[in-house]
Amino acid sequence: MTALAAPPVSRIPRSRPVAPAATRPNGGTRAAPKLRYIAVTLAGIFAILGGQLLLSISVSSGAYEISSLKGDMRNSQQSLQIVAEEIGALTAPDTLASLAGSMGMVEDNNPAYLRVSDGAVLGEAVPAASTSGATVYPVTAGTENYAPAPIVTDVTTALSAQALAEVGAEEATLAVVTPAGEADERVIQPAIAVAATPTVTFGGSIPSPVTR
Amino acid sequence: MTGRRMALALVLVFVISALFLTRLVDVQVVRANELQEESEAVRTTNETVWASRGSIVDSFGNDLALDVDRYDVSADPTIANDFRRNGETVSLETAMAEIADLTGAAAEEMLYAVRQDPDARFTYLVKGVSPEIREMLGELRIPWLQMDLVRERTYPFGPVAGNITGMLGTDRPLAGIELDWNDCLAAENGVATYQKGADGVRLPGTTTTLTEPVHGGDVVLTLDSDLQWYVLQQLAEHGGRLGAESASAMVVRVTDGHILAAADWPTFNPNDFSQTPTENTGARTFSSPYEPGSIMKAIGIAMLIDGGYTYAEDRIIAPGFFEVYSGKFIKNFSVASDTQLTTAGVLYSSSNTGISVLAKRMPREEATRYFQQFGFGSSTAVNFLGESQGVVNTGDSLDVVTRYNQFFGQGISVTAAQMAGSYQAIANDGVRVPLRLVEGCRTNEGELVTTPVGESIPVVSASAARQVVQSMEAIVSQGPLKTTLSIPGYRVAAKTGTAEIANSSGYGSERVISLAGMAPAEDPEYVVLVSFTKPQTSRVSTAAAPAFHDVMSHVLKHYRVAPSSEPAILPPLTW
Repeated sequence: MTALAAPPVSRIPRSRPVAPAATRPNGGTRAAPKLRYIAVTLAGIFAILGGQLLLSISVSSGAYEISSLKGDMRNSQQSLQIVAEEIGALTAPDTLASLAGSMGMVEDNNPAYLRVSDGAVLGEAVPAASTSGATVYPVTAGTENYAPAPIVTDVTTALSAQALAEVGAEEATLAVVTPAGEADERVIQPAIAVAATPTVTFGGSIPSPVTR
Repeated sequence: MTGRRMALALVLVFVISALFLTRLVDVQVVRANELQEESEAVRTTNETVWASRGSIVDSFGNDLALDVDRYDVSADPTIANDFRRNGETVSLETAMAEIADLTGAAAEEMLYAVRQDPDARFTYLVKGVSPEIREMLGELRIPWLQMDLVRERTYPFGPVAGNITGMLGTDRPLAGIELDWNDCLAAENGVATYQKGADGVRLPGTTTTLTEPVHGGDVVLTLDSDLQWYVLQQLAEHGGRLGAESASAMVVRVTDGHILAAADWPTFNPNDFSQTPTENTGARTFSSPYEPGSIMKAIGIAMLIDGGYTYAEDRIIAPGFFEVYSGKFIKNFSVASDTQLTTAGVLYSSSNTGISVLAKRMPREEATRYFQQFGFGSSTAVNFLGESQGVVNTGDSLDVVTRYNQFFGQGISVTAAQMAGSYQAIANDGVRVPLRLVEGCRTNEGELVTTPVGESIPVVSASAARQVVQSMEAIVSQGPLKTTLSIPGYRVAAKTGTAEIANSSGYGSERVISLAGMAPAEDPEYVVLVSFTKPQTSRVSTAAAPAFHDVMSHVLKHYRVAPSSEPAILPPLTW
């Protein structure tokens, strides 16, 4: 404050007398410019102070904005993490196997290959047994608690229904997988209930599996 | 008068100025630091800048272990009371019930936590809730609830690779890769300070990072978690069926020695292992040595052929009993009469006496050297935490009986990893490529620092290895296990083993049954080993065959191995 105010006040009177003294020796006329100068100086000071105030207001409101944006960012990261964790859980091998099993998919360990260059069939295609891959075994317990877990528990049913729901209408291709047997009927119900709602016709094109 | 008044005024001005000056100097110079610290302490808040511990990923980049955000929910008991929400009073009990509903914690316990010390300013209610739950808790708008960010370790695939990844305790890694590769994985949280205004908003430009957070690097494994899961499922299914005590399996890629699956059953879930018995929390594939039994014969025959002592078509007579010294006999599993076998036939029919006849031709020191070359008696290149070296008897401890026994896998103790490694050598034309489980450490800058690849060791000649593979192929295509073992369209080579488990009084009735083999036989790409310890419903190696078949056929399908096109040329087995 003092540093700002002192120099202009002390400098002006010293420089002023040179010119006005020559033209207007009258003391009365000297008072008017002095007042003007003071007014200008004060206005300047207040302008600077006001500017500074506005600046600090805008900076600190920026701080609020940063703070809220950081919060948004944090939330977005959090949502990302939530989704990533969900994906992680859904792509876990045993979840996938359970989901596949609950849709009546079976495992074929004897695939045959078609060689594109000459159309030759390599290997011997053997149909898979309808039961293969139908069970997910607990792996943390030894034989004392040995009991194969039924393929679909409430959790996986819920998961498959949820997964299918999230896959969305245009991707309802999973619904073409028909249940393999009676036993799966109960299991497949919720999945179909979700997936079959949108009426999608494939028009002869090959339904593509939902990949990640 | 005016002069005196002037003087008085001057003195007054001077005195007041002096007072101010003194005060100024005192504040600005003398006590400056102290005051500044005090004021900063009031405005300044320290915060932890969280650094993430590195992930453990499989060869496809799937996270096997990673850090996630979790929240510790706490309350301030002094203000934990009824509160008003949407114009309605919500009682403490109702609030706790709502929290319990979302988090699964017990409402009574949380009530107790809040009430036991009403003057405390802080008590935990629930630890480690997910961000999703935190959001929902936030929507309850309970004024005395606080949620603090913490980092927590999770293993998304649960027990699938727990034996390998190991786990993290509350403050330190406890086992497996987590512990062994802690230098790569470890992160250091940073500290930052910032100043905040009366309303808690961070003042601009005041954040100072005192310590930069250092994120951990990722450990990249050679494992394929899909395959690992499948193999583990097979172990659980067949191990359970057999009433086995435990089971192990390994899948190794022949060309580079990469371990694609290393499964142990029963295993544990690293997310929650408090109830798991300790013996299930490790990797038996690396840590448990056992006498492998007849699967060692493939190695023995390879040694004998390479040493020039025999060849696949070599004709020998396998006696009903092989007399080591007067009164001490080696006998076969079933055959008690002299049989005309070729060397290939010795392996095919797993003749103990036949291989003893051949083993007699090789000096014992040479045999020991070969066993060591195959990797027995020393850690694999993986050098897994707590890995066992097994035992290869040498010198004085190699008694006259053990000398023969070790050729059929008794009197020598090996780990599943070592055994798989030796089969890798047979599959790879006799060249043993060091096993590999950890590809390397990906630093937080994204650079993959690969673990050094050890030197490949030519153990036996390509010809010796080929002859052994052909003999083993006969086991799958012609042996009694033909229907169980063969995989349509593929040529598979395998050897069975039924090992006796030594106890304090010699060999008891308990067994380790195993199968090891490779496919496709014409140019092996994958080695598979499965073993079941102390099976009850069946104690012969045939019981391990279905598991081997399922794993091997899955491997061939999983990696899109083209079916075999060349017909097999099998050596004669008898004469």
